[in-house]
Amino acid sequence: MHAAVLRYRVMAYITGVVLIVLCFVGIPLQIAGHPAVANIVGVVHGILYIIYLAVAYLLARRLRLPTGPTVLVLLAGTIPVLTFVVERWLTRRYINPALAAAPSAQPVSR
Amino acid sequence: METPAPAESAPTWRFLIKPRWLGWHALVVVAFCGMLWLGDWQFRRAMAGNGLSWAYTFEWPLFAVFAVVFWAKTIRDEFRIRRGGGADTPAAEETPLPAGLGIRQAEQPGGDAEDEELARYNAYLARLNEEVKGHGKWRGFR
Repeated sequence: MHAAVLRYRVMAYITGVVLIVLCFVGIPLQIAGHPAVANIVGVVHGILYIIYLAVAYLLARRLRLPTGPTVLVLLAGTIPVLTFVVERWLTRRYINPALAAAPSAQPVSR
Repeated sequence: METPAPAESAPTWRFLIKPRWLGWHALVVVAFCGMLWLGDWQFRRAMAGNGLSWAYTFEWPLFAVFAVVFWAKTIRDEFRIRRGGGADTPAAEETPLPAGLGIRQAEQPGGDAEDEELARYNAYLARLNEEVKGHGKWRGFR
């Protein structure tokens, strides 16, 4: 569980940062006539997003997310900034309660 | 009589034809076809000389396959849950709250003073829990 959460978080942050670089650096440069950055970062994001999809889906499955939130989490990797917003929301709404309920995370026995 | 009647478990699959699920099926079909079409479009661009499109030519069909795999896994999990087995994940995620934290405790009658105090405390916890429930819910950009 902890490992799945960590994998998701790492991929969410990397994918999110690369996507922001692509959209707020690469695309303006491309419009200005320098497409090289957008081309490279675009392909990098494409590859990272594939990994993000797999990792995020595995976590969603472990958390037993309803289908709607699952789709939201998966699509979050393609919309700039939303990746971070969704990661925070998922942590508060689902990851923290699940970790609190996991036996390994219970500090006090009943 | 010795064998459990398969007819009893037959209605399990019926959740698949509920409107909600039909919507998801439709979404998967549309997404799958759409992504294949996008892959084909990128392939045509690649053939026309756009070297970058080669990456997307392979990526879109991969996404299409992902969509189908996720869809199949989700349905399989749903079957497991409905048959009472639960998904093949550790059972730890069953309860959203730690055991002992719940509204029911507040409803327990308190006999002596100590019990009453405990009940009051539990009611307080339950109230806090109720108040906190909305936290972390998606409310758009804030």
